[in-house]
Amino acid sequence: MSTLLIILRKELRGFFLSPLGWILLTLVTVMQGWSVSSAMKALQDAPIPESLVYIVFHMPQFWFYFLALFPLITMRLFAEEERAGTLETLLTAPVQTSQLVLGKHLATLCFYLLLWIPSFLQFQIFGLLTNLDPPFSAGSLVGAFFLILLMGSLFLAIGTFASALTSSQIIAGVITVGLLFIHYFLGYITAIYGDQFPAASLFHHISASEHLRDFSRGLINSRTVIYYLTATAFVLLMTHHALNYRRWKS
Amino acid sequence: MIKVDNLTKRFGRHSAVSGATFEAAKGEVVGFLGPNGAGKTTTIRILTGFLPATSGTATVDGLDVSEHSLETRQRIGYLPESVPLYRDMRIREYLRFRGHIKGLRGNTLRRRMDEVIERCGLGDVRRKMIKTLSKGFRQRVGLADALIHDPPLLILDEPTNGLDPNQIRSIRHLIKELGESHTILLSTHILSEVEMICDKIVIIDGGMVLASDTPSNLVSKMRSAGRISIELKADPLIAHEKMSSLDQVKKVTHERDRGSWGEFSILVESGTDTRERLANLAREEGWPLRSLHRYAATLEDVFVELTRKD
Repeated sequence: MSTLLIILRKELRGFFLSPLGWILLTLVTVMQGWSVSSAMKALQDAPIPESLVYIVFHMPQFWFYFLALFPLITMRLFAEEERAGTLETLLTAPVQTSQLVLGKHLATLCFYLLLWIPSFLQFQIFGLLTNLDPPFSAGSLVGAFFLILLMGSLFLAIGTFASALTSSQIIAGVITVGLLFIHYFLGYITAIYGDQFPAASLFHHISASEHLRDFSRGLINSRTVIYYLTATAFVLLMTHHALNYRRWKS
Repeated sequence: MIKVDNLTKRFGRHSAVSGATFEAAKGEVVGFLGPNGAGKTTTIRILTGFLPATSGTATVDGLDVSEHSLETRQRIGYLPESVPLYRDMRIREYLRFRGHIKGLRGNTLRRRMDEVIERCGLGDVRRKMIKTLSKGFRQRVGLADALIHDPPLLILDEPTNGLDPNQIRSIRHLIKELGESHTILLSTHILSEVEMICDKIVIIDGGMVLASDTPSNLVSKMRSAGRISIELKADPLIAHEKMSSLDQVKKVTHERDRGSWGEFSILVESGTDTRERLANLAREEGWPLRSLHRYAATLEDVFVELTRKD
């Protein structure tokens, strides 16, 4: 078992040994369940030309609890190690900084995927209970959850980065929320100011809400996939450098 | 085993270590001594690969610590000063994790865990959560972690800091035992500890190595090695003058009078003994002599002499 996997396993266990992991799991399950039931009510009240998946992921409350997940998952990662001094024992053991960063990031990603399993099952309930075809296509379901994974990868990396900057979990959390909100609202710039300026396509390119609109309709855009993967890699590289900062200041 | 050459570490404008040079041979227990803020921890952090040096080199087992960082870390068992541990792990769980990241697997890991738990006296508490342990036991867990991969070199940063006298004794005993099979760099500012355990002493202050020698050599080299106290009945002024005129006597101080007895302390050149001549002088002058004592210098004298600021 490689060092990376050992770190991954230790971090992942940590989520389930603390109440936080279970609270987050409950939060996502309850909020998604609420969204599914209100979406079905909405479909019952009036005809809507969109699928159940689309409506659930476009509930007004979605972004609020979605973006709140990331600081809660990641703020502990490095800030706590730094505060307790265990970063010193970790980095004086034969562990490379990159193994540590990747191990921790992958651990949060695994935990994050587990968080969405109940929500995925909630979409199956409709078919199980009603014996009708589900009011969404397989593509929209796969697309939406694929984007949840992609966004999770980047946003968790951003949280990991913020946690590596400070020894205070609170500050790490605040930085994460700040960066995620900036990223989210950059995507709205074209909605506010229109498309009539040269950089408009850039803002479309990084707009999380537009990505969600497309993916939950089953439109999987490879440019978006590449955007999230490269941005994740970039932020993790920054995290690596932030942790090694003490090595190059003199 | 350790070779530190002209090591310098600057934090901005402040130099934590400036041009430190010392060595530790294989199998030696080296006391790394200095007042608080002398640069001990910084030097140790460079050796363990946690901080880079600004200039100079440090090698462990012939390997440069910055170029072969992972290899040298594998050879070092390190106990940091604050003994950082994961509070909500159990001892066995913690040691298993630490063993894993140090590359131990399966049976070897299990065997090593049993060995270090036994050796560090953790048998009775091995299933406890770390946060419920007393300071002394945490220190042992830290030491068990440092030992788990059976490294040839142990670097212990103030391992007895904050323990009660019984715990200090038992940790010391353990370190002494470990010293038979390991090279140890023991940082501390408790002098008796060093005197009891160490083969060699490196004294550091202000980021510079001030002395590096065996404890007995250090003591005998010191000026304070030749302090004699004498009690006699005589006119203080005359006695002072007569004794000062003897060869090899550097300074005579009239300390106090006890009744008609006067007590003097006499500083002589190191490596000489003036007691016989002082006794002869007293007899010739007809001074009654009550005591004549030569103080053996202690490591404390050496330490204070080298590091005091005045």
